[in-house]
Amino acid sequence: MIGFLTLLEKEIKRFLKVIIQTLISPIISSFLYLLVFGVSLGNSVQMKNGVPYLSFLIPGLMVMGLINNSFQNSSSSIVTSKFSGDLEDLRVVPITNMQIIMAMGLGGVIRGFLVAFVTGLVGYTFHYFKLGEVMKIEHPFWILFFVLTGGLTFSFMGIFIAFIAKTFDQLSAFSTFILLPLTYLGGVFVSIETLHPVWQTVSHFNPLFYLINGFRYAVIGFSDVDLTISILVSLLSVAITYGMARYALVKGSFSRW
Amino acid sequence: MNQIPLELKNLIKTYPLKESGKFVEAVRDVSFAIKPGEIFGLLGPNGAGKTSIISTITTLEKPTSGQVEVFGVDVTKDPLFTKKQMGVVHQEIINTGFFTIEEILKFQSGYYGLRNNQPRIDYLLEKLSLKEHRSKNVKQLSGGMKRRLMIAKALVHSPKLLLLDEPTAGVDVGLRESLWNFVTELKNEGIAILLTTHYLEEAEKLCERVGIINKGKIIFIGETHAVISQYSTKKVHLEMKSGLKVSFTDVASMGLVEILEKNKIAFSDIKNIKVDEGKLEEAFSKMVNS
Repeated sequence: MIGFLTLLEKEIKRFLKVIIQTLISPIISSFLYLLVFGVSLGNSVQMKNGVPYLSFLIPGLMVMGLINNSFQNSSSSIVTSKFSGDLEDLRVVPITNMQIIMAMGLGGVIRGFLVAFVTGLVGYTFHYFKLGEVMKIEHPFWILFFVLTGGLTFSFMGIFIAFIAKTFDQLSAFSTFILLPLTYLGGVFVSIETLHPVWQTVSHFNPLFYLINGFRYAVIGFSDVDLTISILVSLLSVAITYGMARYALVKGSFSRW
Repeated sequence: MNQIPLELKNLIKTYPLKESGKFVEAVRDVSFAIKPGEIFGLLGPNGAGKTSIISTITTLEKPTSGQVEVFGVDVTKDPLFTKKQMGVVHQEIINTGFFTIEEILKFQSGYYGLRNNQPRIDYLLEKLSLKEHRSKNVKQLSGGMKRRLMIAKALVHSPKLLLLDEPTAGVDVGLRESLWNFVTELKNEGIAILLTTHYLEEAEKLCERVGIINKGKIIFIGETHAVISQYSTKKVHLEMKSGLKVSFTDVASMGLVEILEKNKIAFSDIKNIKVDEGKLEEAFSKMVNS
């Protein structure tokens, strides 16, 4: 257990050492998204059920911050260790594969949660000044549930990709060609009802769609999809990506780049 | 659990060749054991299989067949136990950029389940002359300091078995000497040490026994002085009172009296005698090239 806690502590200290890159920068991105999309363009967007667009956007941006940073944390931790050569250390110390995956996974969740939390604070501030009211949190327990499942899913995904990637290009390709489309087609910025029917169908195969909508339901009580399905898909995503991370840890490369 | 820190039994390790799909045998039926308080040198040219053996002991690689046991426990069956017994100094220098020396040693202690390990960390920092650099980030360290940090990391949990894979590569002469002294101290504390090195002078100075490996196979295993006397040329250099200097080679089986009698030299004519017992380097070259 001490080994697991030590690795978790190291993961947290690692991202805190480069706080501008790991926390401040994504928070500024979220701030700009809120300013441009939520405040400026938000007036011209009409949502169903009379939900203000800013209220709709805030949970989406929080999830985007959560998953991007969870993924970045675990993958960059492994990749920088591949560059520096200390990844092999993890193989020679008495820590189990499960402890390594969970420590790296939770490290990612904590960074993702911090970015999501500050994004939420900024969003709530905008909400108060633009709409003149404090945004109410509808279901706090489900917020924690989706932070944990969403963060773990994408941290595990980061572990998987970083271990099987042989070059930095392969890692970047995953972010550009997989993670980015999943995010944009998952309903961060718009309800999928506004998409072409083809893209609506595609979105239903996107696990992020269920995560974003589950989280949105937890925050504003409104969602494009049934909560039970969101919960089940989120749990299934954690299980599948854990299996992928474990496979990568056993079969992937610890070698220096 | 037994008292033998490390035992390899008929170890074979093969790797698939990507191009041809065939297999290359990197380690071929290697067996040896190391006793507590012994420094065992594993010597061989580049690509001989030394690092493959270290990787198998540390479970970075799985054996194709055969066994590696640490204190009688198979490394593949209970890797957590065997990892706790050993410390490893890798061949390549590690450059973890984010943390200071002290932070790295604290993390390393934690990986071995040690929360309050400050006295041991302080001892190692002092011993390895890193005390005044403890707050420095790794990227600020010289190559020699990084090497010492790697040794400190390997020793932070007081292992009973130490694997040193080329520990003095790229280290200056002064530091090498001090590391040799430190390794000798560790041996005197009862730690079993497996040393791979390219510096045969290092092996000759430190190791009681050596194993010489070539193309994955052990071609000699035994006491260091035995390999030297068996495979190197003993030389006797005489300086005569007349100023003449004479050298006799290939005299390993002869005593001095026999040499003098055979060459009709009177003992009273000799001013100085120097006997060169031969070097491990010479023995090593002969064995590997034969």
